[in-house]
Amino acid sequence: MKHFIACLLISIFSTHLMAEPTLPKGIIKVSPRPAPALSLENLDGQTFTMETKTAHWHFVHFWASWCGPCRREMPALQKLIRAIPKEKLKFYIVNTAESEDTVFSFIGSVAPEIDTLLDRDGLTTELWQPRGLPSSYIVDPDGQIEYVVIGGQDWQKPEYQLFLNQLGVNNKAN
Amino acid sequence: MQETLHISKCSISLYSTEMNILRSFLRLIWLFTLILGSIHSSHILAATQRQVVDKPTIRMTITPRTPQQIAAFYEGREFPKTAINATHSACFFTVGIHNKSKNIIWLDTLRWQLKSNNSNIAIISKKQWATQWQKLNLQTRFQSTFRWTLLPQKLDFYPDEREAGNITIPRQSETFNLTAHFATGVDKRGQSIVLEFKDLQCAQESKQ
Repeated sequence: MKHFIACLLISIFSTHLMAEPTLPKGIIKVSPRPAPALSLENLDGQTFTMETKTAHWHFVHFWASWCGPCRREMPALQKLIRAIPKEKLKFYIVNTAESEDTVFSFIGSVAPEIDTLLDRDGLTTELWQPRGLPSSYIVDPDGQIEYVVIGGQDWQKPEYQLFLNQLGVNNKAN
Repeated sequence: MQETLHISKCSISLYSTEMNILRSFLRLIWLFTLILGSIHSSHILAATQRQVVDKPTIRMTITPRTPQQIAAFYEGREFPKTAINATHSACFFTVGIHNKSKNIIWLDTLRWQLKSNNSNIAIISKKQWATQWQKLNLQTRFQSTFRWTLLPQKLDFYPDEREAGNITIPRQSETFNLTAHFATGVDKRGQSIVLEFKDLQCAQESKQ
């Protein structure tokens, strides 16, 4: 009986945890809504399209070289991308409306491993309507925006790692 | 010889008295200029330097930007000359807002009052800028960048959220006061916040 109650409590507790990850500073849970379309080229001219109905989550991030917090967040973002398996969380790092030369020299000096996409005319960013730059969206495997990340965050901090663990996308969760 | 010497001494003495008067006069002019200059420059500083209002619930900063700073920024983003020239007709102020409270704070610049000698000044809207850019056939990427550098007209600031952006007004020389009203709480029914900024002034072109 004791075992049964303990199992039940653990199950309820873990279900609760699965449903409601602890939200660190700057991450907002939103009413799920379909993510706008996203299909952009990277600096090498390869097109990346965000697909819905996948097995993995999506991380969509908007940035520009002129925005100070974007610059500060980039190294942390690079470490995050390096640490998380692609089959669990796919990253779409989108530069808003800057020229290839600007993006190339900025990324090269700040976070050279990031394969950024180019929203050349800024229209994709308009579709997503971020609150400001930088802004990130965490999209579930069904293509629904579940979380909005306000501003730049230090993704290596334990609270953000815990959040990603609870989402089931972090290596350390398994 | 002695006479000559006497005359020389006398003229030297006279000369030195004149010089002393002249020196005192020059000192006075220098002092006067210094005082006037400091009054003038402190007046300019008071109006064109960054102003900060820091309350337990919110921190807001306003920094007037010179036309040179604005031109340099957009030139750096490869904006064409026609667009840079168009920015000269406006005054740019960079506004930073940090919600330090545990509630939502609502930004709505339509609720802000900008007053100069009792006449209202309207913030140039994103729509007005868009119209201007379309007239100039400005490429969409530049329009987009410009739009993202402006402060949003409306935004629900979450606890600890910070955003910054420019507000623009038609260029003018008079100082003005800004009263920023913010609603608070999820339903906007919380206690309103009112922030006052006095004697703001457009930053002028700095002389090289």
